Amino acid sequence: MPDYPTLSITLLGAGQEVGRSCCVLQYRGKTVVCDAGVHPAYEGLASLPFIDDLDWSTVDAILVTHFHLDHAASLTYVMEKTNFRDGKGKVYMTHPTKAVYKFLMQDFVRMSGTSSDALFSATDLAMSLSSIIAVAAHQQITISPGLSFIPYHAGHVLGACMFMIDIAGLKILYTGDYSREEDRHLVPAEVPPVHPDVLIVESTFGVQGHEGREEKEHRFTSLVHNIVRRGGHVLMPVFALGRAQELLLILEEYWKKHPDLHSVPVYYASNLARKCMAIYQSNIHMMNENIKARFQRRDNPFVFKHISNIQQVRGWEKKIAEGPPCVILASPAMLQVGPSRELLEAWAPDARNGLIITGFSVEGTLARDIINEPDEIISAKGGHSIPRRLSVEYISFSAHVDGPQNYEFIEQVKAQHIVLVHGEQSTMARLRAGIQQRYKDRDEEVKVHTPRNLDELKLTFRGERVAKAIGT
Amino acid sequence: MASSVYYKFKAQKDESKISFDGTGISVFDLKKGIILANNLKDNRDVDLLLYDSSSNQEYKDDSHIIPRSSSVIARRVPASRPGKGKIPMYVAGGASTTAPASSSGHGGSMPMPGRGAMSMRFDNKREEIASKPQ
Ligand SMILES: [Zn+2]
Ligand SMILES: [Zn+2]
Repeated sequence: MPDYPTLSITLLGAGQEVGRSCCVLQYRGKTVVCDAGVHPAYEGLASLPFIDDLDWSTVDAILVTHFHLDHAASLTYVMEKTNFRDGKGKVYMTHPTKAVYKFLMQDFVRMSGTSSDALFSATDLAMSLSSIIAVAAHQQITISPGLSFIPYHAGHVLGACMFMIDIAGLKILYTGDYSREEDRHLVPAEVPPVHPDVLIVESTFGVQGHEGREEKEHRFTSLVHNIVRRGGHVLMPVFALGRAQELLLILEEYWKKHPDLHSVPVYYASNLARKCMAIYQSNIHMMNENIKARFQRRDNPFVFKHISNIQQVRGWEKKIAEGPPCVILASPAMLQVGPSRELLEAWAPDARNGLIITGFSVEGTLARDIINEPDEIISAKGGHSIPRRLSVEYISFSAHVDGPQNYEFIEQVKAQHIVLVHGEQSTMARLRAGIQQRYKDRDEEVKVHTPRNLDELKLTFRGERVAKAIGT
Repeated sequence: MASSVYYKFKAQKDESKISFDGTGISVFDLKKGIILANNLKDNRDVDLLLYDSSSNQEYKDDSHIIPRSSSVIARRVPASRPGKGKIPMYVAGGASTTAPASSSGHGGSMPMPGRGAMSMRFDNKREEIASKPQ
């Protein structure tokens, strides 16, 4: 068999799972790693991607798509605790991603505190930050001769980009998390102008379709209104940044229209968000026309009249929990340990209260389990059980593509090889079957791969855009 | 005087150590020690493999005794069936003559037997958050 160059794709994380994204691309002696996240269901070493299987000193570049922890939070560990710095590897992310990432990771370090399984220290973080190269969308960045990439907007959260990577002429598009719907503040993901040979695409929602935005927002605001009307507290566990900004814009608008609600406070419990607001304000140019127009009219959309930030002094959760009805957005999103969990435990026994899960819930977390409305939940602190009578509703505002949007994007990108990542096993299997069926109906050929973590996928390419899979 | 075996995860720069009494430690006990020291005990979707650091041979026999002062490479890999990893077996298995008595990594210490590492950690964390001003 002639010796054609082989592209090797190995997932160290996010292979048939959601969490700890980390994808290794190797071709013609170059190694590029896309994302370095942690798994939200675990802590410490257990949350890392399977990093033992790569010699990090051989890595030419690490590209981070966006600031979410499942894509970025193991980066410091990789940079400072492995032999990454023995090599010539460079690290890239967009300007806004880097700005938000810095605050998020400082918070991450603080939360891990002195616990024995803290992954790295504040010093490690500071060291790594100074060598992250910030880039702009649509800019072609040359990493080394024969190796370059271009970031394209991915929607999803501020600064999120997909990467079109060019290794010796072979093109690979890695999407990270992306959305195709214009929301209140972000532009939808772009379809890159060139067709890549390989598309590595998220599959969080599989074939499932999202409900329409208006319908969803209406359901959301009515639900909030109803809970408040019945004298309850509304809890929304959110990741401190990203979708929370979208929810705040919706709530602010709704409160403005409903004076009867003005006596009900909306809290956003995040010091992080306060710090990051300046970043949002200085990146208006990366948002959509609606936001730009408002900003031009000096109507700063990120200055909220009806939403207040909570001074997070000791014991604030208890105070809020025992206070009058309110609406609160608090982290962590998966209800692991922290303010959102504490509030949930305090409010769970009262049927007037309501919990709204607004994003994708990761397997193995309480945010996922509670959607099935269990009669009891277990206290994170004491381990005892607490009756659950508060209402539980799931309304997804998570900015990931749904099935139909993903099909459409995949078909426009026109890659010969499609690698599904960032989805649970069964969800991914359905999406794969769906894609294959659509191509079959049109008599076109495409290969869809769903590698598990550490299952190396080898693709050989001869000539232009002719590729064959060997092995798995 | 306590003996030690040094280990590092394959991707790590620095070594840590597991201390024990005696002239050697079984692969089983070393795995258990590393699992506890790194708080991997609730991780059901991974397996922990150990290798001789000079020959790169995997230690497949849990009863094999590793002499003190040896260096070992550890590697986390996905369990062959998700959720069915072998870690709980090592955590539960107790009977042993060379159980790790104590250990210290570079800057970390292994949870003492019987100390609920999990709830302990939550308490620490809570303290940490609560005591931060703002
Ligand atoms: Zn994301
Ligand atoms: Zn993600």
